Amino acid sequence: MGLPLSIAGLRVPGPSGRVLLSVDALDLPAGALVGVKGPSGAGKTTFLNALAGLAERIEGRVRWGDVELGSLGREARTRFRAAHVGMIFQDFLLFEELDAAGNAALSSMFRPRSERAAVTARAVAGLERLGLRDTGRTVASFSGGERQRVGIARALAAAPDVVLADEPTASLHREAADALVADLAALAREGGTTLVAVSHDERLLAAMDRVLTIRDGQLLDGGTA
Amino acid sequence: MGDVWAGLPILVQDIAVLLALLVPLGVLAGLLWRGYAPGRLVRALLWRFRWANAMFVALIAVSVGMGIGLLAQERGLRQGTAQAASKFDLVVSAPGSEMTMLLATVFLQPSDVGLIGGAAYAEIAGHENVEIAAPLAFGDSIGTASVVGTTAEFATYLSDGAIEGRLWNAPFEAVAGAAVPLEIGARAEPAHGHGDAAEEGAHAAEFNIVGRMAQTGTPWDRAVLVPVEAVWELHGLANGHAPGRAEQLGPPFDADFFPGTPAIIVRATELWANYALRSEFTRDGETMAFFPGTVLANLYRVMGDVRQAMSLMSVVSQVLVASSVLLGLFILTRLFQRQVAMLRALGAPIRFVVAVVWSYAAALLAAGTALGLGVGLAAAAVLSRVVTARTDIVVSATLGWAELHLAAAFLTATALVALLPALAVLRQPVASGLRA
Repeated sequence: MGLPLSIAGLRVPGPSGRVLLSVDALDLPAGALVGVKGPSGAGKTTFLNALAGLAERIEGRVRWGDVELGSLGREARTRFRAAHVGMIFQDFLLFEELDAAGNAALSSMFRPRSERAAVTARAVAGLERLGLRDTGRTVASFSGGERQRVGIARALAAAPDVVLADEPTASLHREAADALVADLAALAREGGTTLVAVSHDERLLAAMDRVLTIRDGQLLDGGTA
Repeated sequence: MGDVWAGLPILVQDIAVLLALLVPLGVLAGLLWRGYAPGRLVRALLWRFRWANAMFVALIAVSVGMGIGLLAQERGLRQGTAQAASKFDLVVSAPGSEMTMLLATVFLQPSDVGLIGGAAYAEIAGHENVEIAAPLAFGDSIGTASVVGTTAEFATYLSDGAIEGRLWNAPFEAVAGAAVPLEIGARAEPAHGHGDAAEEGAHAAEFNIVGRMAQTGTPWDRAVLVPVEAVWELHGLANGHAPGRAEQLGPPFDADFFPGTPAIIVRATELWANYALRSEFTRDGETMAFFPGTVLANLYRVMGDVRQAMSLMSVVSQVLVASSVLLGLFILTRLFQRQVAMLRALGAPIRFVVAVVWSYAAALLAAGTALGLGVGLAAAAVLSRVVTARTDIVVSATLGWAELHLAAAFLTATALVALLPALAVLRQPVASGLRA
């Protein structure tokens, strides 16, 4: 099941001290599908990084369920991500030399031995669910749409409570993007996973339960979903 | 503890040292890999940068190979020269430099040395503990081969009796060393002197090659052995025998007709007797007795400093190459900075990421070191052939424990340093790494 998100007084300063992102308050229920839109450079990726615990410094509160990210050290945040968060990247970030199954089950390599088989099985099942049958083929020969499907399978392989997606359809042509949006939304709903997807893609945003807008580092329509 | 160690067989000590050198590597690998399975990712990285990796491995292999080749060659040369001197149990000569006499007798290097007279020879040859007392006579050459006058007894001893054809029965019959390009039945005129200074036609005589020694692994393989009487006669000297026995070849020699010899090779009846003979024939102003093996050992001791310097230079060159390789690794790891950031974003712990990057570097170092052992062996083999071809000292360079220890030390030290690029990758914040 997904985790609820609660943000209060979030400020993410940049290296120069300038505030890159400001969110006064935001509450999302567990299992919500949320799109985040806004112009380039508005702070969308910074928002996603703050939710993932990847921002080096934050002020305020970002709470996933009972876990306050700001109270965790760097490695504790890493463990939190490993246990609860799946991530999808705009340009996939796959290991070209690994096959689809190897990429999708990447997190099995650093999980306890007892969990590896389950992660791998979920990764392969996810690939097949996403229409990729040839899981033993190296991803170097995959199309953009296929690669992103591998990326989605990788994000979901560890059965995360939260999936954070950064422009997941930006590198895909329309047809592939539409199929991917449908699959991503369906998988998130099936698993009750909380999905936060940063995107310019109107069709992706239309498939979400709610759409947030960030402009000039400010979340404009915060509040409770 | 020291006694226990000293009591262990040498082989066990060598194995223990090798393992001790590799233990830090194993411990580090174990600590980094424990609970993780980064093997597929490491293989993926190795394949992704395969050409750059191949270059690094080649660089490391050449560096390690040079060091190992030098060490193996030096040891092979030491063993070869010691082997060359092994048939020369005790040398008695006129007082002078032991080293000069060693070079003259064992390594056949032309030199001006004093002579031992007939009385001294007779005393040595007649000693109850002397089995062989072979006088030597130098001064002539056939082509590039030295002509060495000696006794048939010593020629048999030197070659362990392995002579194709036969030994000489007449003054101008000769036995060729294994590396002399003269066939049995050939006739050759000796020149007076050696090399460019040799005077062709100075002796109106010819030697008939009647035998050929098997390889002895000494510079004597490049010599033509003749009856010592023939050399004396060629130089207008008495031939060592009284006129009534002028046709005799070999001992006993007549002291009154003994023209002098630069050195006598002595073989004692018993091993212990060599020491007594050395003591007995070391006489101020008369004779000097020495063990060639001891002179070589002293030389090796002096050369030990040079060897250490060579080892140090080898290590320094390896460190320099390893440093440049590590610098290259720093650059390479920048190339997979995004993948590292992605791993961290997915929740990979620091230890896992370090394990991946370090294992990648360690694999290159291990492959380079292993290949370097082969390169070193090949280089030493080539050098050995060159040295053997030029000197006829059989130098056989093989991989020994010293080389394995050097390779293991290099691998462990560089693998430990290889943690640095692995840790450097982690300094980059994940968020900026994802954007890189």
